[in-house]
Amino acid sequence: MAAILQNLTYQGIPIWRHAQIIQWTAQVVSGFLVVFLVAWFFFNIANAIDEREIPYGFSFLERAYQTPIGQHFLPYETSDTFLYAFVVAAVNTIVVSIVGVILATLLGIFVGVCRLSTNWLVAKVALVYIEFFRNVPLLIQLYFWFYIVLSLPPVREGYVIANRVYINNAGVSIPFPFADGAAAALVWIALAAAGIIAGNAVHKGLTQREITTGQPSYPLIGGFATAIAAGAVAWLVISFVAGAPLVVSQPAPQGAFGRIAGGFTVSGGLMALLIGLVMYTSSFIAEIVRAGIQSVGRGQIEAARALGLSPMSTLRQVTFPQALRVIIPPLISQFLNLTKNSSLAGAIGFADLTNVAKTMTQTAPAISIFILIMAAYLAMSLTYSLIGNLYNRRIRIA
Amino acid sequence: MSTVTEPVAIRLPPPRSETGVVGWLRANLFSSWFNTVLTVVVGAIAVWALWFALRWLLVDADFTVVSTLGGLLLIGQYNTDLSCPGQNCFWRPQAALLLVTILLGMSWAIAGSGLTKRIAIAVAVVIALFAFLPYSLERMGWDVRLLLLANVPALLLGWALARYTALGTWRWVSILAVVAFLLILVLLRGLPGVPGLQPVSVLHWGGLMLNLLLAVAGIVVSFPIGIALALGRRSRLPVVKLLCVVFIEVFRGVPLITLLFMSQVLVPLAFPENFPLNSLLRAAIIITLFSAAYMAENIRGGLQALHPGQAEAARALGLPGWQTTLLISLPQAIRNVIPAIVGQFIALFKDTSLVYIIGMLDIVELSRKFATTYVENGMLPYLDDVHEVFIFLAVVFWIFCFGMSYVSGRIERHLGVGER
Repeated sequence: MAAILQNLTYQGIPIWRHAQIIQWTAQVVSGFLVVFLVAWFFFNIANAIDEREIPYGFSFLERAYQTPIGQHFLPYETSDTFLYAFVVAAVNTIVVSIVGVILATLLGIFVGVCRLSTNWLVAKVALVYIEFFRNVPLLIQLYFWFYIVLSLPPVREGYVIANRVYINNAGVSIPFPFADGAAAALVWIALAAAGIIAGNAVHKGLTQREITTGQPSYPLIGGFATAIAAGAVAWLVISFVAGAPLVVSQPAPQGAFGRIAGGFTVSGGLMALLIGLVMYTSSFIAEIVRAGIQSVGRGQIEAARALGLSPMSTLRQVTFPQALRVIIPPLISQFLNLTKNSSLAGAIGFADLTNVAKTMTQTAPAISIFILIMAAYLAMSLTYSLIGNLYNRRIRIA
Repeated sequence: MSTVTEPVAIRLPPPRSETGVVGWLRANLFSSWFNTVLTVVVGAIAVWALWFALRWLLVDADFTVVSTLGGLLLIGQYNTDLSCPGQNCFWRPQAALLLVTILLGMSWAIAGSGLTKRIAIAVAVVIALFAFLPYSLERMGWDVRLLLLANVPALLLGWALARYTALGTWRWVSILAVVAFLLILVLLRGLPGVPGLQPVSVLHWGGLMLNLLLAVAGIVVSFPIGIALALGRRSRLPVVKLLCVVFIEVFRGVPLITLLFMSQVLVPLAFPENFPLNSLLRAAIIITLFSAAYMAENIRGGLQALHPGQAEAARALGLPGWQTTLLISLPQAIRNVIPAIVGQFIALFKDTSLVYIIGMLDIVELSRKFATTYVENGMLPYLDDVHEVFIFLAVVFWIFCFGMSYVSGRIERHLGVGER
């Protein structure tokens, strides 16, 4: 004991100024404080569960949810279980976030490049777009688009474009490829995969040709054209041979009230949500893209122009690949923001994860739902971070 | 006799097409055929959009809905018979505003001329101009108008206070700001038994006042918490680091709206039954913690960008660890991330509109709810009128947020961030 004390008070430093002791005390004290606080919360919750007979546990997941979910991408009946309803809501959020991320990225890159255009008018229009949409709360934008959809004419007096697209206050109905059973769905997926593979191969071949011969071969255009052509040809062949297993479902008014059946109806809430999310997020992405492009040295662009690359090629092959290294990390955090912001959907009547969870708390234990929803959002965040980090590692220098 | 004459270079003026308006147009709008086409197309679209917007604004738009909402937009149901029976409570938010103007005046006197002066004068004048709104006297009495006009003398009073008394230092202003904030809370909440300060339930606080209170409280309180979390995350102590990382990542990973909603359901369970917690306090706590997690990441970024030589030099000079952190690392780190912090404040201000999920009537939810109710009750003719409300709200938020980001840009340039 004396030896330990002797060791601790070496060189005449008193115990209370010994760095390690201070650090360990800090850890133990903060650890205790947190444990105490958490324990107190749990104690209170346990008390409340006991005294106020508040339900808890996860047995409710097996019960039927018995509540309709507005628009959903997975088939859903009110007799389905809570667990399945939760999955349906999570898929809603995931679909919105993926579609939103793709559209917002494309629009954001476009606006960000426009912001740097040498054309004064284009640059100023992009500036106005960015400064307007990022300085107005998303909620207000969502309400704005939603009430515009609501003030469209009712279904029977709605707008019809070429007998194919129906626009009214219930949303927008468009023709949509429709999988008639699992086999047809597989064929659809196989078609898409074949198209992508063919397009990719052509793109690679044309790029190789451009590099070796120096002849402009337009690999991007060729690739896309091949993918689309391959898909179309395969579709036609299958339709002729197998007698149209691949139906493109057309929307059409039905019944006494003229409700639109068939096709795919983007409900007013979903449309407002997507427009709002894409506009809002793209204004942030545009700023990120602008900063990234500006971070590329002026000499790089001048050298590319001196070598005879066109402005478009300079942007696509010299500036952008280098800017990507600066762009990717903040871009990933914008993707995360978009996913989290999609939780505002409840305000405009789209059943996303948060909105469904909110409704669920009326008939199921709130504590369990809270744990589930936290896990779901954290899983989504971690997935995005993981993809982002992997990509970041691939494009990193050295 | 011949003299050698120096050859004189004849300096021709640049061609007319390269200078002046024509030159500018050629360089910026019509430099190539592609640019010319682009200019014409974009210009046509812009003119069409502008014409459409102006026609809507001047001819079709009917902003009576905004004037119908009137004072509700600013303070919510604070001054209704429901919250403040038999009294006029409107003077209390007004007096709170006066306190803010006095502080602004003091800042102006200390900072001298420049941006602070312009902000202070602009704020006071704009508030005073509200006194001239064409409202009927019964809707907006003389007392209200006078209190609004009083913001200009209040500004000058603050300026004089700072100029001619010992209060004219930043230290005093910060102390007074905290005192004023507490005073404002007491003023708004009221004191039981004091005549004229009848208690007003926080459930009736609303409108823009609620957004501003939540944003200011959130950012101010989250600042020290964020610093503590950032230091904790960079600490070498495993337990402290783990706790901070878990806190930050959980609060950053989940949407604010989910946290707010769950606070409504869960927080009452986590505290004893008679614990004094109302929905405003719950919202404020959640917003503060949420903001603290983001603040921590901002400050951590600033600390990481700091050259390690700074801390090493401080240690070499014999400063103990806590002084190295407080006097050397943190001030430089915070200075470097001021733009990020302002950006976060803007985001927080926009996010205060999410309190609708727990049934609080901030300016957005209040307008939406009342506007749609008016439409249902026939007080307003069409659902279309709701658009005007959202356009109005968008402009209000835009002015605040754009103003703040403009000021942040100026501060950034003034401090020379990123120029060393």
